Amino acid sequence: MALIPTKAFVADPYLDLETYQADADLMTLSLGPQHPSTHGVFRVVLHMDGEMIVKAVPHAGYLHRGVEKLCEKLSYSNITPILDKNDYVSPMINEQAANMAFEKIMNIEVPLRAKYLRTVLAEMQRIASHLLWLGTFAIDLGGAMGGGTTVFMYCFRERELILDLFEALTGCRFHYNTHCVGGNRHDVPPGWSQGVHQALDLIEARLAEYLGMFDHPIFVDRTRGVGTLDAELALELGVTGPLLRASGVDHDLRRDAPYHVYDLVDLKVAVASGGDCLARYQVRVEEMKESARIVRLLIDNLPAGPLSSTKPLNMVTQFKATAGQVYVGVETPRGELGTWLIADGKKATSPYRMKIRPPSLHNAAVIPYVLPGHTLSDAIAILGSLDPIMGEVDR
Amino acid sequence: MAVKVDESARNYEHPLYDYLLRVPGLDVAVASVDQLLTWGATNSIWIFPMATSCCGIEFMAAAASRVDLDRMGAIMRATPRQCDVMIVAGTITVKMAPRVKRLWDQMPEPKWCIAMGSCAISGDFYRDIYSVIPGIDTAIPVDVYVPGCPPNPEAVMEGLLRLQDKVRLRREGKPVVKEERPEVFERTIHPKIGQYTRRQEKDADDPISIGQLESALKLQVRGFPLPEGVAYPVEVEPAKPVVATPAAPAAAAPVAAPAAAPAPVKDPEVKP
Repeated sequence: MALIPTKAFVADPYLDLETYQADADLMTLSLGPQHPSTHGVFRVVLHMDGEMIVKAVPHAGYLHRGVEKLCEKLSYSNITPILDKNDYVSPMINEQAANMAFEKIMNIEVPLRAKYLRTVLAEMQRIASHLLWLGTFAIDLGGAMGGGTTVFMYCFRERELILDLFEALTGCRFHYNTHCVGGNRHDVPPGWSQGVHQALDLIEARLAEYLGMFDHPIFVDRTRGVGTLDAELALELGVTGPLLRASGVDHDLRRDAPYHVYDLVDLKVAVASGGDCLARYQVRVEEMKESARIVRLLIDNLPAGPLSSTKPLNMVTQFKATAGQVYVGVETPRGELGTWLIADGKKATSPYRMKIRPPSLHNAAVIPYVLPGHTLSDAIAILGSLDPIMGEVDR
Repeated sequence: MAVKVDESARNYEHPLYDYLLRVPGLDVAVASVDQLLTWGATNSIWIFPMATSCCGIEFMAAAASRVDLDRMGAIMRATPRQCDVMIVAGTITVKMAPRVKRLWDQMPEPKWCIAMGSCAISGDFYRDIYSVIPGIDTAIPVDVYVPGCPPNPEAVMEGLLRLQDKVRLRREGKPVVKEERPEVFERTIHPKIGQYTRRQEKDADDPISIGQLESALKLQVRGFPLPEGVAYPVEVEPAKPVVATPAAPAAAAPVAAPAAAPAPVKDPEVKP
């Protein structure tokens, strides 16, 4: 029973506790499903030797809502609001992923103005999502950040700026339903781009302030070398997004398989090499700055023209697909969100099968590999840095 | 000499109250202290956030800088044992509902519950999914419904104000009106999935699936809307030394009877 492991603990997710150590005083601790640091209804069973975790078993399924089955029963135009609730921290990008799959299977071309607007909305949503992550991560670290609540309050203050802009555009704070098959529903209101610039000015100015607060020896001590994830293991588990880039793999769908108008913006992908919580923090902060740059670049150059190539009427029989299957991957704040859509010709108005590949599920798969060997307080920091969203893990 | 106490007017929440009132001049002081306690109880409602999904994020926004529930004395606590009100924010699944019930049972009396968002109120469009409970009021009594998908932070604050009124009335011993589940006039999914009907009637009349019913009955809850031809299993009288065992009623055929007898509902508000 050692408080601090004397030698490097080799994490084995399939560790047999019977043969671990004969004299070990093992304790089982159930973290979740109701725990403020699990970011949702997520449960991890921790087997601990003293203060050290020797085995971690994640349990999901507390928010299983049968979304994929529901999508098979709905028409193409009615699926969009369902997918808002999947990844409820970045609903804009979830809508786009589904609608891009529908457009691909129906061969519907999206106007250039809608493509520009979708890029702007996606990047603004990325800033909002990362701001929420930064605030909750500071709460998870708790005392290291002077109570943690300070950064949480600041981050939500800035997130409200972006939600206000979305509300001005779509009328909703949260679940927008602004994308439709073939374009967007809501055009930019007058004065919106000035509002975007003002909000980004504020966010960028205040972000520098927060980063000064994070530039603190206690924060670095609590995150450096904690939860290190090798690039090899990350690729093996299908990890994508900021986690993969923090492990040193230069992979971003926005640059490698550009959709919308990402091929016009010369995206700089943030990569860090540590693979630990500090590297994930650095990658996400850099992504926020890069997203702000892209939004500034595009918002003033929205091309004129129609916003949608179809009539956004929400009719059940409006959109019909012939038999076939497509896969569309987009880069959400958490990684690659894949939509695999299969349509059979018999029921033309709704998909035959719609498989959603959520990034959070694959990112949460690293828990049994990363958590063992750390203390319980480090486990909270690691879970916070993974940023899983249970709505899309369980679907 | 024994004083005759009017049992019907007796306030059981404060057992010493009747005796203190007989001391000359003390009624004024006690009334003032009671007002002070009422003021304290209404303005220090501590919240247990049962946040499962999207509404949880919006509830965090309500507790954060702009709306700031802290100024109403509503502080979020991570343990049910310190809290007065449970805010159920988000979809409650069959797997999660027993945990919610257990956390609710751990909260000390007096306690209240706010159902925030369409999913917590009625299940919304997940209501016909096999894994979703159609409304948290099938498992625990709900005092205030805050509709919306998700409700704005201002709506959460308005719901909290309504709850404060209820707390005040309860402290003063006045009758509290039970809130009804808000009617849903939106287009929701009909049990025949794929077709759409405009729902004009209350949710309580909707039939639900057998799987959902079984999961709700495992929670030992009464007052659940039942499909036609299904009844709750009648409580069997405890063991009498009779030869023939009391047979279960035939009406409960599709549903297995719960193992233990349902717990009696203590709150008079939720008595079905």
